[in-house]
Amino acid sequence: MMHIFCPYCGELREEEEFHAKGQAHIERPIEPEACSDAEWGDYLFFRNNPRGIHHELWIHAVGCRKYFNITRHTVTYEILETYRMGEQPGITAETLAAEQLAQSAAASAASSTTQQTGDARP
Amino acid sequence: MSDATTLDPQAVTDADAATRSQTSVIDQRPALDVHLQTARSPLAHLFTARADANAGVVLEEKAFLGHLMLRGDPAQSGFAEAVEVALGLALPLTSSTLNLNDAGVSIQWLAPDEWLIIVPGEEAFAFEQALHEQLSGRYQVVNVSGGQTVVSLSGAQARQVLMKSTPTDVHPRAFPVGRGVPAVFAKATLILRHVSAKEGESEFELVIRRSFADYLGRWLLDASEEFGVCIKA
Amino acid sequence: MQRYSGFGLVKHALSHHEHWQKVWRSPEPKKEYDVIIVGGGGHGLATAYYLAKEHGITNIAVIEKGWLGGGNTARNTTIVRSNYLWDESAALYEHSMKLWEGLSQDLNYNVMFSQRGVLNLGHTLQDMRDIQRRVNANRLQGIDGEVLDTQQVQDLVPAMDCSASTRYPVLGASWQPRGGVARHDAVAWGFARGADSLGVDLIQQTEVTGFRKQDGAIVGVETSRGFIGAKRVGVVTAGNSGVMAEKAGFRLPLESHPLQALVSEPLKPILDTVVMSNHVHGYVSQSDKGDLVIGAGIDGYVGYGQRGSYPTIEHTVQAIIELFPIFSRVRMNRQWGGIVDTCPDACPIISKTPVKGLFFNCGWGTGGFKATPGSGNIFAWTLAKGRAHPLAEPFAYDRFNSGKLIDEHGAAGVAH
Ligand SMILES: Cc1cc2nc3c(=O)[nH]c(=O)nc-3n(C[C@H](O)[C@H](O)[C@H](O)COP(=O)(O)OP(=O)(O)OC[C@H]3O[C@@H](n4cnc5c(N)ncnc54)[C@H](O)[C@@H]3O)c2cc1C
Ligand SMILES: [Zn+2]
Repeated sequence: MMHIFCPYCGELREEEEFHAKGQAHIERPIEPEACSDAEWGDYLFFRNNPRGIHHELWIHAVGCRKYFNITRHTVTYEILETYRMGEQPGITAETLAAEQLAQSAAASAASSTTQQTGDARP
Repeated sequence: MSDATTLDPQAVTDADAATRSQTSVIDQRPALDVHLQTARSPLAHLFTARADANAGVVLEEKAFLGHLMLRGDPAQSGFAEAVEVALGLALPLTSSTLNLNDAGVSIQWLAPDEWLIIVPGEEAFAFEQALHEQLSGRYQVVNVSGGQTVVSLSGAQARQVLMKSTPTDVHPRAFPVGRGVPAVFAKATLILRHVSAKEGESEFELVIRRSFADYLGRWLLDASEEFGVCIKA
Repeated sequence: MQRYSGFGLVKHALSHHEHWQKVWRSPEPKKEYDVIIVGGGGHGLATAYYLAKEHGITNIAVIEKGWLGGGNTARNTTIVRSNYLWDESAALYEHSMKLWEGLSQDLNYNVMFSQRGVLNLGHTLQDMRDIQRRVNANRLQGIDGEVLDTQQVQDLVPAMDCSASTRYPVLGASWQPRGGVARHDAVAWGFARGADSLGVDLIQQTEVTGFRKQDGAIVGVETSRGFIGAKRVGVVTAGNSGVMAEKAGFRLPLESHPLQALVSEPLKPILDTVVMSNHVHGYVSQSDKGDLVIGAGIDGYVGYGQRGSYPTIEHTVQAIIELFPIFSRVRMNRQWGGIVDTCPDACPIISKTPVKGLFFNCGWGTGGFKATPGSGNIFAWTLAKGRAHPLAEPFAYDRFNSGKLIDEHGAAGVAH
């Protein structure tokens, strides 16, 4: 059971109160008639389906009935952040990768200074 | 009033006119004698009086109350003050809170821009009018009295009945007096509020939609059965 | 391959069953194959089997990251039926049904296909209208089907509550007598043994991590054991298909969702058919071992954790108890989830792709087990000829851009 923090209620609530509504931040083409079949098909049917970080639209259906966004890991199900409509995610696959890179760089720098001999690789 | 007019394209710019209601309101409740003869509350057929001195659960339908839905932007200047003047109760700005008084008036936060107001049935029209008089700019008051009813749930085992029925955490630590939330309840939904706790015994109110009333009423009777039920009618 | 028979069983009993031939080999991968199948589930193994058997292509490898048949093949509730609404899908599933009917003989392996009939219950007038429409369509398609009333349903399933006092009374059902269940593992193992005996290399514990292309055409796959060359590659990876397409450089209109199931402790025979209800949302059958096999709906969100959410399983159990109050005290033994590849029109994608020589067979979502032989059969044809089998033509992946969808949500809605 997931506990989801509703950014409007400001509280953690049970998964059962919420409904998932698919990928977040999908923009309807401003001029549908000007779209090619491929663009229109993409808009209607093609969704991100990552093994990893996903930005999703949810609604607090049995609650404040507001839509909001969740950044969630689709394997661990860890919820990294929730944010209101109109806002952009603070955490993305890219920011996480950059963070990890910085961390491992810092770790290898630390280990190479402490290790007197031999190979610094973990 | 200036930001009220910017919010509402139809609001009258004239400061005097803006304070007056733009909505015509009618009293939806029939004259008292008609009401007494014909009105049947959503749970009248189920909640017939049942005495049990040792009952662990006490149920009572608080029928025919006045239910008003209020919507508006609490950041709009004068909004909170207007509601307070009209109801005699502060507008709750913290999520999931319920303010109530001894006159049977309550107001509950439902969403950042939505509140449920419950008042004695015969006063619904007066409160509705008072709200329209006080509020201005962009707001909405809708009388939904005919669409829902309230069940009072109390007794030593009241919380046990809730725990069987809802995933909402109803432990007193998580659900103190003055808290109210929409809740998943026996696969349906309702609004659950903790209205008082006297000598360690809590009273909860369940705001139930008319169309769910028969189902939820039966569920409550069934779920309470093992603790002994007293029904006040 | 040593053939299985009653006589063989007796013969091996004399040597305490110690000398049975291994069911399949565990070969080292070659440098190159004519065809590589990615994914050793039922569909992948069936594809390899029919390629070898019907098209004479035997230089084939099936590459599986885990163990054979350990994906959705191992996790499903094994309902087999062919009573879909639209001609395109009904033809597809009926092709499969015909293969099921001779499969144990063909494979010389008992897949325990049991045509015990499938009921799809109707609980509302609209349900019944949909059922009537679908059964009429099926008759025109030459597929068996009947509309039953409440009493007829009750006669078939005495243990079910068909009284008028339930929240969603059973108003009737569609009934496909040729539908039923099969033994999931046996299907995978039967196809694996058949393919292996025709020379197909079954390579387990090897993950395909990428595709190697040259001038827009496939030349092989990158794996956790190095590069393996191939002239053609067929990807049959169910819930992982969206991820595989990304690796190949294009998108598929798939979302991967957990779907879960559970089984009870074994009981004496009580239910000798398959009961499905879209409306109260659950389905149940009883396995030959005696356990009740119960299925649920998908979780509403994308998920690759092979479990499934608690609210969904609770909802399913409530639905089953609504239908069968008598099951309320049955203990549940195990619960698990699989990752299903759901498609916007609830139909599969059996298609070539923007990469020459690379083919995908996916999007079976919650209901592809019943298609295992048929899917493998027409995908083998497609891989052998390099173009879509006539039955697969409507299921090309560009239908999501042309708009020619085959909306089977009505017949596949719940699932299966
Ligand atoms: C709980 C549940 C109940 C279901 N009930 C029914 C039912 O009653 N009736 C019905 O018709 N259908 C049902 N289904 C659907 C059915 O199980 C599937 O549609 C069908 O089994 C798919 O078969 P497959 O061989 O394509 O997939 P799988 O058996 O999942 O095989 C795909 C294989 O690909 C492998 N793989 C993935 N990525 C890689 C990689 N990169 N490299 C190598 N190998 C890889 C996986 O390990 C896996 O073994 C159900 C599914 C679930 C989860
Ligand atoms: Zn909320």
